[in-house]
Amino acid sequence: MNIENTQSQMRKGVLEFCILSIIKRGEVYPSDIIDEMKKANLHILEGTLYPLLTRLKNSDLLTYRWVESSSGPPRKYFSLTEKGATFYSELQSTWDELANAVHAITQNGTSTLTSSNNFNQ
Amino acid sequence: MKKVININFQGRVIPIEETAYETLKQYIDSLRRYFANEEGKDEIINDIENRIAELFSEQLKKGDSCVTDAHVAAIIASMGRPEDFEEMDAESSSSAGSSQQTYTQSTYTSQAAEPPRGALHRNDNDKILGGVCSGLAHYLRIDPTIMRILFALITLGGFGAGVLLYIILWIILPASPLSTNLKKRMFRNPDGKIIGGVCNGIASYFNIGVWIPRLIFALPLILGAVTGIFHNVFNNNFDPFPNILFSGFGGTLFIAYIILWIVVPEALTASDKLEMRGEKVDLESIKASVQGELQGFKGRAERMGEDFKVKAQAWGEEFKNTAQSKAQSFAADAGPVARRVGSGLGHAIGVLFKAFFLFIAGIVVFALFIALMAIIFSGAAVFPLKNFLLEGFWQNFFAWGTLVLFLGIPVIAGITWLVRRISGAKSSNKYLGYTFGSLWLIGLVCFILLVGSIRRSFDTRARIKDEVTLVQPARGKLVIKVPDSKVKYYGGWFRGGGILTVAEDSLIMNNVRLMIVKSEDSQFHASTIRYSYGNNPAIAERNAGRISYQIHQADSTVYLDRGFSVSEDTRFRNQRVLVTIAVPIGKRILIDRSVDRRLSWDEITVGPHDWNYEDNDNDGGSWWQTDVEYVMTAGGLERVDSEKNRDDEDVDKNKKMTQPEENQNKDDKKYRYKKDSTENKIEKKDSVKATRTVFIDDPNQEEEKSGAVESKAKTTISFLSPFQQLLAIGS
Repeated sequence: MNIENTQSQMRKGVLEFCILSIIKRGEVYPSDIIDEMKKANLHILEGTLYPLLTRLKNSDLLTYRWVESSSGPPRKYFSLTEKGATFYSELQSTWDELANAVHAITQNGTSTLTSSNNFNQ
Repeated sequence: MKKVININFQGRVIPIEETAYETLKQYIDSLRRYFANEEGKDEIINDIENRIAELFSEQLKKGDSCVTDAHVAAIIASMGRPEDFEEMDAESSSSAGSSQQTYTQSTYTSQAAEPPRGALHRNDNDKILGGVCSGLAHYLRIDPTIMRILFALITLGGFGAGVLLYIILWIILPASPLSTNLKKRMFRNPDGKIIGGVCNGIASYFNIGVWIPRLIFALPLILGAVTGIFHNVFNNNFDPFPNILFSGFGGTLFIAYIILWIVVPEALTASDKLEMRGEKVDLESIKASVQGELQGFKGRAERMGEDFKVKAQAWGEEFKNTAQSKAQSFAADAGPVARRVGSGLGHAIGVLFKAFFLFIAGIVVFALFIALMAIIFSGAAVFPLKNFLLEGFWQNFFAWGTLVLFLGIPVIAGITWLVRRISGAKSSNKYLGYTFGSLWLIGLVCFILLVGSIRRSFDTRARIKDEVTLVQPARGKLVIKVPDSKVKYYGGWFRGGGILTVAEDSLIMNNVRLMIVKSEDSQFHASTIRYSYGNNPAIAERNAGRISYQIHQADSTVYLDRGFSVSEDTRFRNQRVLVTIAVPIGKRILIDRSVDRRLSWDEITVGPHDWNYEDNDNDGGSWWQTDVEYVMTAGGLERVDSEKNRDDEDVDKNKKMTQPEENQNKDDKKYRYKKDSTENKIEKKDSVKATRTVFIDDPNQEEEKSGAVESKAKTTISFLSPFQQLLAIGS
């Protein structure tokens, strides 16, 4: 067991949720997703985003349409399907529960443990 | 010189360098292999190609004539290589792994068997100056950073030998773009950096809490600061920075930080950051061990194969170049190299500049901090005196406000800030700053009010003059001594400065000066002038009147009191006593060493420097040394035995001149001693106050008081501007 593995597992878990929540706000172009996540300091390689989007699309959670671009060929804009919206709200409630649980465990546990954890961040 | 080809890439015509095209093709192939088992692999590749094409055309729109190696490398870095995906995307890793394996075996087996490093090259892909360190590191398979630090050390320690070596290698070694053969590299981490992100990068590299390297770098400085403070407090030597920054461990670390800042690259792209944490290594090794596959090795083998191909190309080019002319190639390279050197040097100079300014700022902050601490320390030391200085509730209130808020808050805030920065805690509430700020402003107001209030306590000065009649000594020689006091107080803190010691409820002061003048008649005369300040003339006069200072006589010896006490009730108002002895011409006087030793004048300069602006009290005084017999002549005091005196001078070098400059206008006499006929009538060891004159020096209330002051005194009223008074208080 080592820390990087755990960390990357943690990040991976929320990655789809984050991407879906960005798409939920409206039609979006993949590189905008990258930019927004970068702004939030959540780094993701573009090369991993496209497969993920394709996978989500193949599971009927996402749909896309071609939008004419002023420069060059049309671009793919992604949006959530109905199924995707349900999926997202389920994820949302799971996340809320999880966040609450994690918060309750890490913050309201023994105070010494919490403080030392914070310090090490 | 590179060949440019046009490709049709996702419906766009892209002019691209041939080598860049090769790299791109390899990259897309590697993606295709990676996603081979993925359900919608064509779509994925299509999307990615589309994005790349878009980035290319953006690049071309910016004015570049074609897509170059550097562009492709940048795009690949931002998209990520298949190896980078793995740890982001564990889901598909097993399938991708197997596909990779098959591919590696089928295509690259023959090449992968070749030795991976080939020859020593300068690294074009990763360089600060010429890529020499990076190339060497690549050859030796170590982190380029280590190589760079090594070179920096050689340069610093070997008087520039490193530079020479570097230049030689730069000229000799051929350049080629090498891709990294390391899994984990040291970077400066720009996320959450304080100065240059060095500590943060070290923490990421070694996988430790970021506070550890920060503490290691900061602790010697903090310790230096603390010792510096004590050094300053106890040795009165304000010299905070050279000791701390340039000597010892702290200085070494300081320089080390700057070197690291220059040589360690900043993690800019996502893959840099992943590399910095070394995530992919560990994942690979885990997979290798858990799944029992050789995948990690294969991955590396694949990269080696790529490397080899790139290198082979570079070699080919290099060979051609050599065949043409080495000089020509050098000239062709000169442009970009110069640019590279420029940017590398620019970075180094920029860092040095930053470090320099940081350094200056550090010194300023440090000096302020130490000054603050020193003030607080000395404030604490003077604290027992406060009852003698402060009057009433408000002054005490303001004094506490000043100490706690005005001086304490910046220290607490500074320490808080430091601890937060080192521990990397984000400032969660901005109200903390506001709170500190407003408390400090309150402290500032307290300080101003305190200064104003104390200044008012020193507004008015009163002077009471008493004549003391002396028994004329039989042999025409007067000896002046200060007897030892019966009780001695040893209160280490407050010696000197006119304050002898602090007793329970009174302050013993020896702020007394002896002045020798020429007598107008043939008699010895003595007088005391008692000074004090106060809020108004009445209080000043009362304070001066409360000074009990007496002169006793026994035969031809005059004894001056050791000091006088100031009660808590009277408070310290810079009380002073001036004793004047008038010596008639032809008579002798000897001042005992005890006068110098036991009386102390000067130092305390609360209130105006009245001795410089004073009316005639100070006139006519001659300078003297202790334990030397003088005779009064028309021209002032003269030594009785000049030869002996010279010996004395050697012996008594340490004796002070109480009044170094000889008074020039001794002739325009201002002796105001009344020619009393009280001589020869005084009982021994008994002082008699013959006359009393009260002088009030009050610039503001002079008129009100003038009626009460004797007409004679009016001539001696000195006007001191409030500005002068303020200055004097300030000092």
